Amino acid sequence: MIDKKLYLDQNKTVMFGIFEDPDKFLDAVAHVNQSGANIIDCYTPFPIHGIEKAMGLKRSLLPVGAFICGCLGFITAATLQLYMMHFDWPMVIGNKPTVGVSYVPVLFEMSVLFTAFGMAILFFTRSKMIHGKIPQERVDLRQTDDRMVIAIATDGQSVDKNNLSNMLFNGGAVEVKERTNHGYEDFTDVDITKGSNINVSANH
Amino acid sequence: MIHDSVIRPQLITGDKTLHDVTTEICRPIENKPSTSWTVGFILSVIFLGILILSLGVTLAYGIGTWGLNKSVQWGWDITNFVFWVGIGHAGTLISAILLLFRQKWRMSINRSAEAMTIFAVMCAAIFPLFHMGRIWVGGYWVFPLPNAFGSLWVNFHSPLLWDVFAISTYFSVSLVFWYLGLIPDIATVRDRAKTAGRKFWYNFFSMGWTGSVRTWNRYEVVSLILAGISTPLVLSVHTIVSMDFATSVVPGWHTTIFPPYFVAGAIFSGFGMVLTLLVIARKVMNYQDFITIGHLEAMCKVVMLTGTMVGLAYITEFFVAAYSGVEYEQYAFINRATGPYWWAYWSMMTCNLIAPQVFWFKWARTTPWFIFMLSIVVNVGMWFERFVIIVTSLHREYLPSGWVMYSPTMTEIGIFLGTFGLFFTCFFLFSKFLPVINMAEVKGILKNRE
Repeated sequence: MIDKKLYLDQNKTVMFGIFEDPDKFLDAVAHVNQSGANIIDCYTPFPIHGIEKAMGLKRSLLPVGAFICGCLGFITAATLQLYMMHFDWPMVIGNKPTVGVSYVPVLFEMSVLFTAFGMAILFFTRSKMIHGKIPQERVDLRQTDDRMVIAIATDGQSVDKNNLSNMLFNGGAVEVKERTNHGYEDFTDVDITKGSNINVSANH
Repeated sequence: MIHDSVIRPQLITGDKTLHDVTTEICRPIENKPSTSWTVGFILSVIFLGILILSLGVTLAYGIGTWGLNKSVQWGWDITNFVFWVGIGHAGTLISAILLLFRQKWRMSINRSAEAMTIFAVMCAAIFPLFHMGRIWVGGYWVFPLPNAFGSLWVNFHSPLLWDVFAISTYFSVSLVFWYLGLIPDIATVRDRAKTAGRKFWYNFFSMGWTGSVRTWNRYEVVSLILAGISTPLVLSVHTIVSMDFATSVVPGWHTTIFPPYFVAGAIFSGFGMVLTLLVIARKVMNYQDFITIGHLEAMCKVVMLTGTMVGLAYITEFFVAAYSGVEYEQYAFINRATGPYWWAYWSMMTCNLIAPQVFWFKWARTTPWFIFMLSIVVNVGMWFERFVIIVTSLHREYLPSGWVMYSPTMTEIGIFLGTFGLFFTCFFLFSKFLPVINMAEVKGILKNRE
């Protein structure tokens, strides 16, 4: 199961596998996950179906949030209409009751409105997205174009780094890198070539 | 991972790679505008100028400058309002309902259809807003705002108020849906940007998107929920618009068939406008591999189906009037077909019921220039439908002393033409600064990914 507390900038060393084929990438992610390595995250230019299972991600709880927001909208609309039409100034038009089916359209619309905006706000908050944010997790500029990236935590790992890089290369990676974190926003990237000894290059 | 059916044709042609998709869709954004774009944009801005001028006249002299009179108190303005709202229905229908039905052909056209929705609703909003006269105090008439007039609240029994809630919800939810869909593509443009200005603005609107699978995972959930709630929303909006008429006691309006009839008509006119725009856009922007003949054909089938549904509603209305035995209802319908506005009625019948039947023939569904011509016919027909419903019912009141003929003034014509200027100006700007096709979704349905 993927650890929610893993983040790129908080890990001392991270290994990246960069792929160009989505099908090979999906298989490689599943292999890495099965091998017991800690996958920090993957980056893809489009949603690859089944990858969340391959990574061991849990289903998001956002639908619960949507339901709560919808209820909130319903309650707001009900309160608004009851207060204005029934308590503050009972408006009798055409002898219609001050509380009735004519409330339904506004109840429905406000439930939808609150759900949609609530969802968007929850999504942006949960994903730490805000206007103008500089994306920190750009390993490859083409990860929003045609490349897929897997980020694996390698500090304090029981998994052998050589095995890991071989697994990535054999799975179809076009590039493998290791990033060493020297502090906040201060990284060194080292390219790993196929069959190289990583401990030597990482100590460099 | 993806099971390719042997029977279904490819949705995206031209053996594109992932990178091809990015390059081709980003091309209009990254290059100087073409001559056709510039000419089209200037023309649209001229029409936008007509809109500003006509609205200025309305504000300076009051809505007396509109050709409304005692009997026909709703004329062109509500006709145009319903016309534009109807056009705004295809976008969310394509992205929400077709998403729930897992129709993958929607992916090439949903972005532009959603943009069209937003711009069409903006055009629609102009009519009721300016109809209030002094628009700057209008907030008190349409929204339940606390105010200094005592307990002056809006009337929640009124379908006109439901409409305010429906349209503003529809507009804002469509905007959220559209923007959310744009974020991954804005990030793609950002990562390819060369100039400082482009880097700044696309970075600003991409909200730090990196394509993280954790985020994609949530994003998919959000999209599904938004699609789920947008589906009843689309149906509710035109249902409520139809209630503006159906809850009244005017013969010709007071009928229970209005909600489904209006919804079908809205989808029909929306697809008509999507076809008008996309047949041109795919040619001018060289997107034939993304918006293929197959896409046009699928949309033509929707047009044919909804056109027939609308036609059925026209005939049912006649039957109901005849069968009801209410002479006022009967007169309203006989007057529509044979009275002074017979030409409007028969234009509507020809354009909406008869013309789309040519789509039974495969040639008609697969020939772009013909589809374009027919989409214009559909747009004209749907405008006449609203004109027929509104004007013919009002110009013959219960009292013969209130019988009048209605004709629009120059100001009204100016506002109507001007809304086309607003619509196309927005659409041209959209096609220059944002990816017209959803790159992230299209990449997921490519066949040859190597």
